[in-house]
Amino acid sequence: MPPALANPVAQLALAAVLGLLGFYLLLPKPRLRSVAGGTFLVIAAFAVLAGFVYLRFGKPIESLLPDVLFCLFAGGAVLFGTLLVTNRNPARGAIAFAFVILSTCGLFLLLAAPFLVAATIIIYAGAIIVTFLFVLMLSQVTGPSDENDRTREPLLGSLAGFAFIGLLLMTLNLSAAQPGAAVADAPPLPVEPLTKADRKLLAEAAQELDTVPTADDLVKIQAAVKAAKDKIAEIVGEPGQPLSGATVFDRHRLFAQGTADAREAAFLRATDKLQRANVKMEDEAALATSVDGAKAAAKKLRDELALYSGYGQLPARNVANVGFVLYSEHILAVELAGTLLLVATIGAVAIAGRRKEATA
Amino acid sequence: MISLWHFLAVGAVLFGLGLIGFLTRRNLITMFLCAEMMLQGVVLNFLAFGRYHGNMSGQVFGLFIITVAACEAGLALALFLTLYRRGKSLDSADWQTVREAGLPPTVDTDPLPRPPAEPLPPTLPVAGRLPDTFAASHPETTRA
Repeated sequence: MPPALANPVAQLALAAVLGLLGFYLLLPKPRLRSVAGGTFLVIAAFAVLAGFVYLRFGKPIESLLPDVLFCLFAGGAVLFGTLLVTNRNPARGAIAFAFVILSTCGLFLLLAAPFLVAATIIIYAGAIIVTFLFVLMLSQVTGPSDENDRTREPLLGSLAGFAFIGLLLMTLNLSAAQPGAAVADAPPLPVEPLTKADRKLLAEAAQELDTVPTADDLVKIQAAVKAAKDKIAEIVGEPGQPLSGATVFDRHRLFAQGTADAREAAFLRATDKLQRANVKMEDEAALATSVDGAKAAAKKLRDELALYSGYGQLPARNVANVGFVLYSEHILAVELAGTLLLVATIGAVAIAGRRKEATA
Repeated sequence: MISLWHFLAVGAVLFGLGLIGFLTRRNLITMFLCAEMMLQGVVLNFLAFGRYHGNMSGQVFGLFIITVAACEAGLALALFLTLYRRGKSLDSADWQTVREAGLPPTVDTDPLPRPPAEPLPPTLPVAGRLPDTFAASHPETTRA
C-alpha cells in the first residue's frame, strides 16, 4: 500500500471520488453512459471502502462464520443497492430491491433480531410484489423513455450521495478506537451477556418457583438471585470510575454502566418482589388458607425470572422480549402507529378511488 | 464481540446509495424503492445500537419504522396511480410545473438514443425479372 493511502481519510476520499465517477458513468443518460467503466470504478470504490472498514474497525465479529456471513450480507446489500439505483429497467430494480431486503435481513439476524427479520420479509415481500404489479401495469418498457433513460443532475446527485457517505464514515473514523491502542485499552464490552452460569441460576430459581414454594424456598431463591446480580456487577464493573480525557469510548463506557445499573435495578425489583411475596407467603402460611393464591404469585414471579434470564442474550425469547417492551414501555407509540396505519389506509383509498373524476 | 462500527458503515452506505437514487432517478417507482432502501439503512443503525447497548429499544424502533414504511408505500402507490391516470407517464419531470416559483424549468436537450432498428423481414426478388440485356434494348418493358 502506498504511504499516502495509509491515512484513513485519504482512503475515504479516494473511495468517494471513485464512487462518484463510477455512479456518474453508470446512471442512465443519453450520452456518456459507460457500463463497463462505471462498473469498474464502482467496484474499485467499494473495494477501497471495504479496505478502510477492515483496516480501521478490524474484524466485525470475532469468529469466522459470523464474519463470513457479515461480509456476504453487507456485500450483497451494497451490490444490489447499486443495481437498484443504476438499472434503467424498473422491474429489474424491484428484483434488486428484493435482494437488498434479503441481505439486510441477514444483517438483522446477525444483530439478534429474528422477529424483525420475519416481519420485514413478510411485509416487504407483499410490498415488492405490489410494486412489481405497478411496474407491469404502468410502465411499458418497450423503448427508451424519458423516465428510465434520463436522470436529473447525475453528477451532482452522485456528489451529494458520496459526500454524505464519506463524511458519515469520517465521523465513524473519529469516534472509533485507534487500532493500535484499542487492543490494550479496549473498552469493556458495553453489555456482557449473562453467562451460562448466571442464566442457570435464574432458571433454577424459576424452576424452583414452579413447584409449590415454601417460605424457606423463597429465601433460597432470593439468595440465588442476589448471587446472579453480584456476578453481573462483577463482570460489568462498578460505576463511578474517573472520566479523564473524555472520548467517545468513555461515553460508551458510561452508557454501558448505565445499562448495567438498569439491569441491576431490574434485578433489585425482582428481589423486592420476591421479598414482598415472601412476606405475603409467610402470612398465608400462617393463615394456611390460600394455597392457590400463593401458587399464582409464585407463577408470576417465575415468569418474570424467566424473562430476566433471557434478557442478556437478545435472541433468547426475542418475541417475548419485544412484546414485553412494546406493550410495557411503548404502549402509546403502538397506539399512535396503529392510528397512523388506519389514517394512511383511508387516505390511500381516498386518493386512488376517484375513478369517475379520472375517466371524465 | 460484535462491532457497532461495521454495521453503522453498512447502514451509511445503504442510506447514501438510496439518496443518490432518490435525487437522480426520474421514474417514480424507482424513486420510491430508493427511499425504502434509505429506511433500511436507518433500521440497520437502530438495530446495531440496540444490540450494542443490549436492550430492545432498537428493535422496537425498527418495528415502528417498518410500520411507517408500510403507510408510505400505500400512500405513494395510490399517488402514483393518480398521477399516471392524469399524465400517462411515471416521469417525475412531468410534474415540474408545481416547482418553486422563480426556478427555471428543466429542459431535456440530448435526444434519447434510438432503439436498435428491427431487421426488415426477408424479401424475395421479383419473380420473372427480365434479363438485363433484354431490358436495356427494350426500355418500355422495365417496370416503374
